Amino acid sequence: MEEEGPAVAAREFAYDAGDLSCGELLIELRRRMLSLRPGDLLAVTALDPAAPLDIPAWCFTTGHALVFDRPPHYKIRRRRD
Amino acid sequence: MAEKFCVSLSFAKDNSDKATVGFVVANAAAASNRETMVFLSTEGVRLSQKGYADDIREEGFAPLADLMKSFVEAGGKIFVCSPCFKKRGLKEDALVPGAAVVGGAKLVEFLAGGTPCFSY
Repeated sequence: MEEEGPAVAAREFAYDAGDLSCGELLIELRRRMLSLRPGDLLAVTALDPAAPLDIPAWCFTTGHALVFDRPPHYKIRRRRD
Repeated sequence: MAEKFCVSLSFAKDNSDKATVGFVVANAAAASNRETMVFLSTEGVRLSQKGYADDIREEGFAPLADLMKSFVEAGGKIFVCSPCFKKRGLKEDALVPGAAVVGGAKLVEFLAGGTPCFSY
């Protein structure tokens, strides 16, 4: 079994989703979160009027942590797998 | 195993608005870690053919072909109603990636156990 290495500092990335909505927004969030390491942050700007409800719901459903929620700005921490 | 989700879609170019929104919702489900299947029946089966959706672009939405591609890339499956497919003389060798022609047994198997299904 591999020993756990030293803790790696979380990185932060930005994503401007513009007015993407519904499934188009979520599929982009999914794609971007998958490219991150656990613990990394994605700072999202999302202008769609449904985003204030959709982004928290998506985080709840997928297990990522919404650590900042002030529409249109959000910050999501990638879950530990 | 992930929870499942089904989107039933029975329109193609006869209602490109419904066809597009059906795949938007399917993307939302796939992006939310649901094992998601789009069931194409009646006219909807035409969407299973490569190139058919290339000129469908509803205002305010991504092109339908892009939505179908992102859905499949996120692990989504497309089930195509076999009798509807045969009735229209469509071609199995022209199926888009992620699509499979199925009979009722596969649909029932997927929906068994209370899988939610959203219809367009």
